[in-house]
Amino acid sequence: MAESSWLKEFPEMDRVDLLAIRKGLDSAYREFSREYGEVIESFFDPLLTFLVWFEKLLLTTPWWIVIITLTALVYLASRSWKLSLSVVLSFLAIGYFGMWEHTMETLSIITVCTLLAIALGIPIGIVMARSDRARSVITPLLDIMQTMPAFVYLIPVVMLLGIGKIPGVIAVIIYAIPPVIRLTNLGIRLVDSEVMEAATAYGASSTQRLFGVQIPLAMPTIMAGINQTIMMALSMVVIASMIGVKGLGQPVLKSITNQYFTLGLFNGLAIVALAIIFDRVSQAYAKRTQRHM
Amino acid sequence: MKSFLIAVPLLIASTFVQADNTCGKVTIADMNWSSASLIANVDRFILEHGYGCDAELVPGDTMPTGTAMIEKGEPDIAPEMWSNAMKDALDKGVAEKRLRFAGKSLSDGGEEGFWVPQYMVDKDPSLATIEGIIKNAALFTHPEDPERSGFYGCPAGWNCQISSGNLYKALNLEEAGFDLIDPGSGAGLSGSIAKAYERKEAWFGYYWAPTAVLGKYKMVKVDFGSGIDKDEFTSCTSAENCLEPKVTMYPPSLVQTLTTEKFAAASPAVFDYLSKRSFKNSQMNELLAWMEDNQATGDIAMEYYLVNNKDDWMQWVPAEVAAKVEAALDNL
Repeated sequence: MAESSWLKEFPEMDRVDLLAIRKGLDSAYREFSREYGEVIESFFDPLLTFLVWFEKLLLTTPWWIVIITLTALVYLASRSWKLSLSVVLSFLAIGYFGMWEHTMETLSIITVCTLLAIALGIPIGIVMARSDRARSVITPLLDIMQTMPAFVYLIPVVMLLGIGKIPGVIAVIIYAIPPVIRLTNLGIRLVDSEVMEAATAYGASSTQRLFGVQIPLAMPTIMAGINQTIMMALSMVVIASMIGVKGLGQPVLKSITNQYFTLGLFNGLAIVALAIIFDRVSQAYAKRTQRHM
Repeated sequence: MKSFLIAVPLLIASTFVQADNTCGKVTIADMNWSSASLIANVDRFILEHGYGCDAELVPGDTMPTGTAMIEKGEPDIAPEMWSNAMKDALDKGVAEKRLRFAGKSLSDGGEEGFWVPQYMVDKDPSLATIEGIIKNAALFTHPEDPERSGFYGCPAGWNCQISSGNLYKALNLEEAGFDLIDPGSGAGLSGSIAKAYERKEAWFGYYWAPTAVLGKYKMVKVDFGSGIDKDEFTSCTSAENCLEPKVTMYPPSLVQTLTTEKFAAASPAVFDYLSKRSFKNSQMNELLAWMEDNQATGDIAMEYYLVNNKDDWMQWVPAEVAAKVEAALDNL
């Protein structure tokens, strides 16, 4: 019976063999984490120290100084009174509803995550735009990063690095970095080939073409990528909280398990407010610098 | 002819059983932890093959399932309900004739407490007591703050977050240098244990049994030296607005099978089975360890359990139901 049943049923691997593979890979990973865990952990130590320092800075600074500083930054970047005023108002509301501490914790980790994602993403995007082979390798990786359920890679990361900020940062970056890479690549590839020919005719070297022509012309597309990266980073706040990252995600988790709808809504709105501020400021800044081109 | 003679009474008997129980469609909450998933699968198999129900597993978790059973009357059965977790709501549900408790799914009840790894206690036996831990607070490094010690509490939103938080206060752990770390999720908490255990690092925090984690990673329950003060625990330690929590060990939690009143009234025979179906902690630990070793899901573990423990489960059901279940097992 077993011989003929493959017509009706898929010829599956034997459960025992499959189990051996699963157990083998799992114990290999355990070995690996036992062997190299501490080394890898110490590699991330400087980043952890910085994250802890930055969070403490935001938490210990009096709230009004934080608001003034943030508003000043927003105004410098955007030169818009309306935007600055709405930043002040939303932070006042966040503080008034008792979410100040959590918001500062989220603000600190998300700022670091987005800066890291942009700092890593744009160079990777440039590499991808300049080499078709790099693109054919990176594209499927990006697909995996965007679709793989976070917990599949989070638990191995937790076994390696423990719970807390570092695994949180890794999870957020894995999920949020693809748009900035993809759109940097796309933006550069979309630069008109005639413009490039002209630049070459004027004797521009390849570096000059990249920084003088391609990146400035690709800027609107790159900014769209950065916008998406920021939004996705903030949407990961709750997942990051599931591995012990402090911030707005914790009350959201609490509200999910206990059906505290209002608590969830307030904290969710605080995440939205942060996202909008991040986005509007970066977009306004980009638009302002573009205007002079 | 002979077989016909045997078959007729059997047929009558089986129609009789079915007529007695208007079973029909039954939903069983498959909670997202191993022991509950195993029990849910055992229930599904026995209800489906033994009682002819159209049993279906639906995903569940203590709070959402409990609430849904009270408010919506669905799912019909929660096979492993840690009833202390939402005692007031469940008691009210029972009083309002919406819910009915069948029996204890874990006859010894669930164990909760603060635990440290066995290897730490082997090195320094004083770590099995809370005084020893406070004295050696420096051992338990905080993952993010070198100046503090870390105590892994219960994930945000879980009920044990309240009790572990109150005990953290009562034991003055904060003054002893411990920060209460929120692991965020069950996976985060067990991941932190696994990480510590693989590298023989220090770990101190909340966990519960029976669990595969405690089956796999041998841990010692920390003695608070206070004994169990059940009244204090229910009135204050497990209450969110407890102002002055006192030290008490966790009383064993009742782990019960919960059904909706509607289902209990409609299917008395199934309810009778659910009242008898019960596991000992030692047995459950072994099963969980087997599941962990073999990476078995609830339905594979159910097969393993039903095939290898016929003497146990046959006592829960009438003989004719047992025969049907056994026949179904042979056909697997």
